Amino acid sequence: MLAQVNFGTYGRWFPPQLSVHGGDIDYLIDIVHYFMLLLFVAWGSFFVYALFKFRQREGHKASYHLVKGKISKLAEALVIAFEFLVLVAFSMPVWATYKNDPPTSADRVEVRCVGQQFEWLFHYPGPDGKFGPRNASLITTSNPLGLDEAAPDSADDIQLINEFHIPTGRDIYVRITSKDVIHSFSIPTMRVKQDAIPGMEIPVWFKVKEGATSHAMKFEMTRDYGIDELNWYKLRHHVAVDDYRDKSGQVIFAKGNDLGSTYVDGQKRIDQLRAAGVASVKLEPRAPLEVVCAQLCGNSHFKMKAQMIVHTSSEYEEWVKEKSKPQADVEFEGF
Amino acid sequence: MAHTHAAHAQDHSHDHGNEHEHHLPFWRKYIFSVDHKVIGVQYTVTALVFLFIGFSLMMIMRYQLAYPGSPIPVIGQFLGEPIVGKTADGGYVMTGDGYNMFGAMHGTIMVFLGIVPLAVGGFGNFVLPLQIGAPDMAFPRLNMASYWVFLPGGLLMLASFFMTGGAAASGWTMYPPLAVTAANGETMWLLAMVLLITSSLLGSINFIVTTVQLRVPGLSFFRLPFFTWTQLVTAFLLLLAFPPLEAAAVMQLMDRVFDSSFFMPSGLVVSGVMQDQLAGGGSPLLWQHLFWFLAHPEVYVLILPALGIVGDIVANNTRKPLWGYRALVHAVLFVGFMSFIVWAHHMFMTGMGTTISTFFQATTMIISVPSVIILTCLLISLWGASIRFTVPMHFALAFIPMFGIGGLTGLPLGLTAADIHLHDTYYVIGHFHYVVAPGTIFAMFAGIYFWFPKVTGRKMNDLLGKIHFWPSFIAINGVFMPMLFMGMAGVLRRQFDQTEQLHGATVHGLTLMSSWSAWLLGVAQIPFIINFFWSIFAGKKVGENPWEATTLEWSAPSPPPHGNFAGTPVVVCGPYEYSVPGHERDYLMQAGKMEA
Repeated sequence: MLAQVNFGTYGRWFPPQLSVHGGDIDYLIDIVHYFMLLLFVAWGSFFVYALFKFRQREGHKASYHLVKGKISKLAEALVIAFEFLVLVAFSMPVWATYKNDPPTSADRVEVRCVGQQFEWLFHYPGPDGKFGPRNASLITTSNPLGLDEAAPDSADDIQLINEFHIPTGRDIYVRITSKDVIHSFSIPTMRVKQDAIPGMEIPVWFKVKEGATSHAMKFEMTRDYGIDELNWYKLRHHVAVDDYRDKSGQVIFAKGNDLGSTYVDGQKRIDQLRAAGVASVKLEPRAPLEVVCAQLCGNSHFKMKAQMIVHTSSEYEEWVKEKSKPQADVEFEGF
Repeated sequence: MAHTHAAHAQDHSHDHGNEHEHHLPFWRKYIFSVDHKVIGVQYTVTALVFLFIGFSLMMIMRYQLAYPGSPIPVIGQFLGEPIVGKTADGGYVMTGDGYNMFGAMHGTIMVFLGIVPLAVGGFGNFVLPLQIGAPDMAFPRLNMASYWVFLPGGLLMLASFFMTGGAAASGWTMYPPLAVTAANGETMWLLAMVLLITSSLLGSINFIVTTVQLRVPGLSFFRLPFFTWTQLVTAFLLLLAFPPLEAAAVMQLMDRVFDSSFFMPSGLVVSGVMQDQLAGGGSPLLWQHLFWFLAHPEVYVLILPALGIVGDIVANNTRKPLWGYRALVHAVLFVGFMSFIVWAHHMFMTGMGTTISTFFQATTMIISVPSVIILTCLLISLWGASIRFTVPMHFALAFIPMFGIGGLTGLPLGLTAADIHLHDTYYVIGHFHYVVAPGTIFAMFAGIYFWFPKVTGRKMNDLLGKIHFWPSFIAINGVFMPMLFMGMAGVLRRQFDQTEQLHGATVHGLTLMSSWSAWLLGVAQIPFIINFFWSIFAGKKVGENPWEATTLEWSAPSPPPHGNFAGTPVVVCGPYEYSVPGHERDYLMQAGKMEA
């Protein structure tokens, strides 16, 4: 199998796959690719063979009369049949489940997500399960969702910027829209993608596999990297677990810091560590699960991402209780 | 070049002012010319310059992609704001806006200013009347108008870089509300598109009427060269698909300039500011439908002429007829028809219901069938052949597996469930570039090497041609194959810095490979540029038919005079009568005789 259907680390074929429905998508992509490979190898072999066998040379003439045969018709019929099978037996059912059957379970987690240039805003109903009303005319820098704070349902609502908290093992039902331009709510590790279109509210749903918490991901992805293995690109999102010092005891790579934010910075840091004689560094991912934006939305489209924190179900309930306590100042760090 | 009475008699489209063609002043003979051959060359040269510009934009972007945040060497200082910003140590780093501008313009320039004018305006104009035995297009002045609307459109598009706000930066797809609210050159883009689309519409009418009306005696439809068929279907696609986009472009212009709301919904809040100057009530999805209604047939406009060129060159260099000529013709007709009912496969992620998305998924699967048939016919045409590895044949042969990869990678994208993972990733970019770059552009090169002798009377140098081919072929695969893997890994499109997202950072090595391959590909074009210009003046002189080909253009002098043929060719056979048993020569000209 080409797909990784367990946690795996990033960087091989598919990204890690942590959702319940995602495995079907990966399976479909795999079988289509096996089919494509088969066709390409068959065509390609014929092609190379023909180029050699029918090259122009002394004593060899081309044939005006064209080759006849049933093989090409049979092959074409098989191709069509296979495509039909994939369509009807795999793609249509997966798509239907993904699109037609919103979850109705009692413990489903409902979240509203609003995209804006260049953040993801998340709105949770809180323990009362009711969303406070929102109004575009109430939107200010300190109230980016335009929540009507006066309404009783809003009292325990949770509003977050670029933080998406969800539990494992329960249906997650997200209603997605946008304030300004088209964005696209995309969680690669959950095989979720849905355009966020202003003027429309579009639901998307998924369920996280049991055990696939952020904590577990972080644990999977934390390890020692030998100095020669250090590569700014691969490790840009990893931070040091300890402090690393140079020969005079000066800290050159502090705990919680990453290798740098540009290629030039990254290379400099790696060179520093090498010069200091550091043999290996232990790195952990800063935020192993991300929600990103998949539709061009302006000059900072590439930076529009939210951290996704996956809890166990009980941890999640704790988090909701804690977070929804009315707080004196809800501070948003600006746009 | 005697201008005989017979030639004059058949030149119904001649204006009395052109009766004594050698008396035309320079500006009427070479600038505002009504001769399809001059217009074809004008289109070709202009399109090649635009292709070079579009490619250069990408070569610069590739530096930012490979080394995010690094100052751009050598050229950085010339790019100016807002494309680059100066760093503390005096380097010029690309900005997010600059990257998006280059990206949007790369796509627009390559598709609308490069490939279509070259494939249709260039090759179509020059070759089609010759292949049907006509003295010119049915409407020569309309033809001239078509070029002279295209050129200002193209120049306006490029000029947008130098205007306040820079060029458009919302993708070649220009989705509102971003494209309407952006403070960049989107307005210029829309105006330029109105000109470019108008040019295409004028041209397509001409091609259809010419092909239907001006075929010489004996040239029935099923004796047409495959190239002519593909140009005919392409012209229908342009004619029927472009008008909705032209209308949509005007609507978006209204939205941008007059605050109308064709595409702008109510309640928009941009950067914290309520957009209550807008009427509201519009739909961003309306633009997407109108855009893709054109843009899907548009991609068949990009590939069909290429298939036609490859077909003609394969027949010529296998010294036998194409296998499955009828199947090929039916396939291109079917593809043309189907191309109008697949457009929403670009919109699967917009919240489409299952019924409609299933319809489009099914039509998308169906449209892959004629493409498979065409490719298979081209492949089986190699069986029983005597293959001459001329320079055009190198490119035509390379086209075949490259188009295979491009076409096959369309399959997972057309399946809605698979598209959830692959939509808007580099897999899409890899897919369409495989079809257009090592696909169509290679076919364009093949066509240039093939018809250059007809246009100039001289052949291009073979050694330089091979030196152009091999590094190009290797480098172009080096650019686009990694993208298919990057897409599988989840790397998204239009990312100024791919390493910002975790799944992008881990596969950055593939981006490096693409970037270095792209620069190598740029260098590999130098032999072609040298060869092209040098051969115009010093290439080996050839006669009418240096390739020993059969179709009508090879019965005219090289280059053909005004009016093309000495008499009226009369067609006596099909287009690919090669290696006919019982004949001394291994080819029979389609023009059996020339009537006075």
